[in-house]
Amino acid sequence: MCTLCSCYPWPVLGLPPVWYKSAPYRSRAVANPREVLADFGVTLPKDTEIRIWDSTAEIRYLVVPMRPAGTEGWSEEKLAELVTRDSMIGTGLPKSPQDLK
Amino acid sequence: MNGAQDMGGKHGFGPVKPEPNEPVFHAEWEKRAFALTLAMGMPGGWNIDMGRFARENRPPAEYLSMSYYQIWFAALEQMIKERGLVSDDEIEAGHSLRPPEPVKRVLSPADVAKTLHRGGPTERDTNTGAAFKPGDRVRMKNIQLRTHTRLPGYVRGHIGTIERVIGCHVFPDSNAVGAGENPQWLYTVRFDGPELWGADGDPTVKISVDAWEPYLEPA
Repeated sequence: MCTLCSCYPWPVLGLPPVWYKSAPYRSRAVANPREVLADFGVTLPKDTEIRIWDSTAEIRYLVVPMRPAGTEGWSEEKLAELVTRDSMIGTGLPKSPQDLK
Repeated sequence: MNGAQDMGGKHGFGPVKPEPNEPVFHAEWEKRAFALTLAMGMPGGWNIDMGRFARENRPPAEYLSMSYYQIWFAALEQMIKERGLVSDDEIEAGHSLRPPEPVKRVLSPADVAKTLHRGGPTERDTNTGAAFKPGDRVRMKNIQLRTHTRLPGYVRGHIGTIERVIGCHVFPDSNAVGAGENPQWLYTVRFDGPELWGADGDPTVKISVDAWEPYLEPA
């Protein structure tokens, strides 16, 4: 995320959605990430550690999503179908194998 | 500067509301404002930190009431005016009224993709050593700079841990005011939630910022 402006990995993810540049996201994601995740319909277990990177320099960050269960032996191409933009921003989970069916 | 752009931890902005279909641009002029801003960086001769300062350096009420591309366009207008590339009467007229000022460089359409792909690398060579190493405890200095800085208000005065030594990078606080690149060691510093957000801060949350050495002191 970027609290100070709108830093985002353009070359990989394209231009950011409006919400990423908006005051609600920039103000809250750094302090109340569970509330922001709830805005996206994502609820994590209470003891799951949440890591936030505020892009204050010219280093850009994105999430490599955790491999969902039930994808053993999948090819790189098939795994890539599970990856969403939001799962790389960090506000969503990747799709599950069931979502592809 | 302690302006409205420094939003981390501020209250009252309400929930995040993703739009249906998430259009990147909402009007033709937004595309033009975006493209003009990127294209004018070359003839305008400003750097990314000057550009950021031009966007954030406005009264908070104004900053918060403008859309993203309104801010970009207002900053562009200001930067080309400051450099004598356009004047008030020309902006009023909506077209140029006198011959253009010569500029050193122009971004041609053929070079756009290459220029965007190249980006603006900020890493620089150095023969100095980094003062901190991973695991060191550091306090973020309480610097109240009125010009551009990338030290967010919410970490100032707080203690964190060096997570990573990134390299030596252009120092925005100098670069934004035309005082040269003044490259400095850059680190990722990690904080615990309660350190930044008080006793009610979520202990399962860790927040990292990238911070240049002049922002840090041993803790």
